[in-house]
Amino acid sequence: MTPERLALRDAVRGLLDRHSDVRTAIEAPHGHDEDLWARLCDIGVLPIPEEYGGSGAGLPETHVALGELGRTLTPAPLLASTLASQALLASGNAEACARLLPRIAGGEIAALAWPWAAGDGVSVAPPDHPETTTAASEGPLEGSVRYVLDGDTAEILLVTDGVSLYEADPAGVTRSHTPAMDPTRRLATVRLTGGAATYLGPWSSRVRDIALAALSAEQVGAAARALELTVEYTKTRVQFGKPIGSFQALKHRMADLHVLVETARSASLAAVDEVSAAVAKVYCSEAFFKVAAEMVQMHGGIAITWEHDAHLYLKRAHGSGQLFGSPQVHLGRLARITRG
Amino acid sequence: MDLSLDASTLEFQAEVRSWLAAHVRPLSSMDTAEGFEEHRAWERLLASSRLSVVSWPEEFGGREASLLQWLVFEEEYHASGAPGRVSQNGIFLLAPTLFAHGTDEQRARILPAMARADEVWAQAWSEPEAGSDLASLRSTAVRRDGGWLLRGQKTWSSRAAFADRAFGLFRTGPGERHRGLTYLLFDLRAPGVAVRPTAQLDGEPGFAEIFLDDVFVPDRDVVGEPGDGWRVAMSTAGDERGLTLRSPGRFTAAATRLVELYRENPDPALRDRVVDAWIGAQAYRLHTFGALSQPLSGPAASVTKVFWSELDVALHETALDLLGEVAPGWRDGWLFSLAGPIYAGTNEIQRNVIAERLLGLPR
Repeated sequence: MTPERLALRDAVRGLLDRHSDVRTAIEAPHGHDEDLWARLCDIGVLPIPEEYGGSGAGLPETHVALGELGRTLTPAPLLASTLASQALLASGNAEACARLLPRIAGGEIAALAWPWAAGDGVSVAPPDHPETTTAASEGPLEGSVRYVLDGDTAEILLVTDGVSLYEADPAGVTRSHTPAMDPTRRLATVRLTGGAATYLGPWSSRVRDIALAALSAEQVGAAARALELTVEYTKTRVQFGKPIGSFQALKHRMADLHVLVETARSASLAAVDEVSAAVAKVYCSEAFFKVAAEMVQMHGGIAITWEHDAHLYLKRAHGSGQLFGSPQVHLGRLARITRG
Repeated sequence: MDLSLDASTLEFQAEVRSWLAAHVRPLSSMDTAEGFEEHRAWERLLASSRLSVVSWPEEFGGREASLLQWLVFEEEYHASGAPGRVSQNGIFLLAPTLFAHGTDEQRARILPAMARADEVWAQAWSEPEAGSDLASLRSTAVRRDGGWLLRGQKTWSSRAAFADRAFGLFRTGPGERHRGLTYLLFDLRAPGVAVRPTAQLDGEPGFAEIFLDDVFVPDRDVVGEPGDGWRVAMSTAGDERGLTLRSPGRFTAAATRLVELYRENPDPALRDRVVDAWIGAQAYRLHTFGALSQPLSGPAASVTKVFWSELDVALHETALDLLGEVAPGWRDGWLFSLAGPIYAGTNEIQRNVIAERLLGLPR
């Protein structure tokens, strides 16, 4: 890691040490601590170029911050706003970038309704007045998208049908908070009811790869912290007159988990294109789930309590494994790609 | 081995199946005050048809059903989607101990009330510093006229939030660790008892901490001899680890649901795991049929405990991967399955038992 990224990591980690309170944030109206989000935006963790009011951070810097948020499971709109920003930049629409990116850089939440889940879809309805419509992609949007990150609280809502990128008019959209397994991740269902939408430009499948890589960075941070907490616990929990971490039945399993976390970290850092992003998604999802499941087992009874954070790591591991498509979905894609 | 059922077992199976079909309905979670009472009423309904403890002698509310009939009952019970057993700690853990070590007076006083769920029992083994290393427990029972005074703290006590009575081990001396422990029964509403419910990872108080401050227990509530508690408790520990607590019907029913789920959500990438889980449930069923001719001894129960607890996790994780983000209908079962490798003696301890007592490996 470069000295600049280490400094960024320490700044974010220090901020979260002082201010992150996951249990309170979950219960907050928007599912996150708005003051903390403002401070993160001040640090400049969003990948928005300086010409559009951003800090000039790139995706590697955002991944550092996502890793830190993953460690503490702190709910924040960083992943949502990152995807929306990248979709905007990829659209090549300078006007839209100049209009929206400075607002996002300033902390307004931007969500991307992207129908990656089977059964979801967005389509462009035939226009009411074809004679005044200038392009085929100008019609009202219809459809439904689930699992939209921060979709019900976002001030800026972008939508893709997999071909083009649109800015949705909130008047033509129904948004509802849809709690899932993981209480630390704000998800919403967005129903497009034929309201007007502004065409911004083409959708780039590169945004999908960016999403997978960004998510893997968060997963690696969370997995590493889950293992750290487990190691700390087994050093202090005494049974049979010894710390339980001294028993090989646990020690070797934690050593294996360390190997898993470090290889997952490499997979995440290497995720730059379609294949490597899919690899990172599969590998980091499976690694994080394994670490979190072992965290529960090695903590014993205390991990079965609501008060302990182990179940939050486990629920995040399950939820993030499913987000943007399960490992088996991406394994299927990889099989098709590598078969040529 | 001939696994076909004889005429009387088939008749029993038909009776159980039609009774369950007529009576099963969904109840609220037993880990809420209201749901607990719904489950108590359900136990009473079972008892009214002598179905709450089919394997027990008739004088205590049972039918003296054979082990095979009990397995059949369990299969029918779980296949019907019937409620979890709020009385399970008493029926499956305390009752076998009373049959083996209790007095006639204790059996006559305690078992019929247990069978009718007039008394629901909680277990009180673990302490904050005594989990896997149960023999390091520190709660004490001190001699008083006509009985004992309990003092200390118990934890991970399943059902204690709403149960009536509890059973556990207490240090009475002399001696350390496994020596000088006594198996005692106590009233959870007695003076000096404070129960603090603990929210589980699903947010509901499925277990509790029990604080005991000079709680009086009369001599008639000592099970076995004072000072012999470890032997009394461990002689039936196999019941918690083995098949009485977790009969195969529970897993064959879950495997059937999993296969149905796959039919609705076919995902070729998960097909092998679905089949593996189904095979695991069948293997466990056949393993328990083996116990019909050769009872599973103490350490052999560790084999079944590792097998069913890890099978349960695999069944539920596979269902979750089929269902994705929300996982309706399987979420609570999954969260509960995670506790399986921990309670009733962690699987790390079970593997030590298998290694040392079945394989004869050095300690």
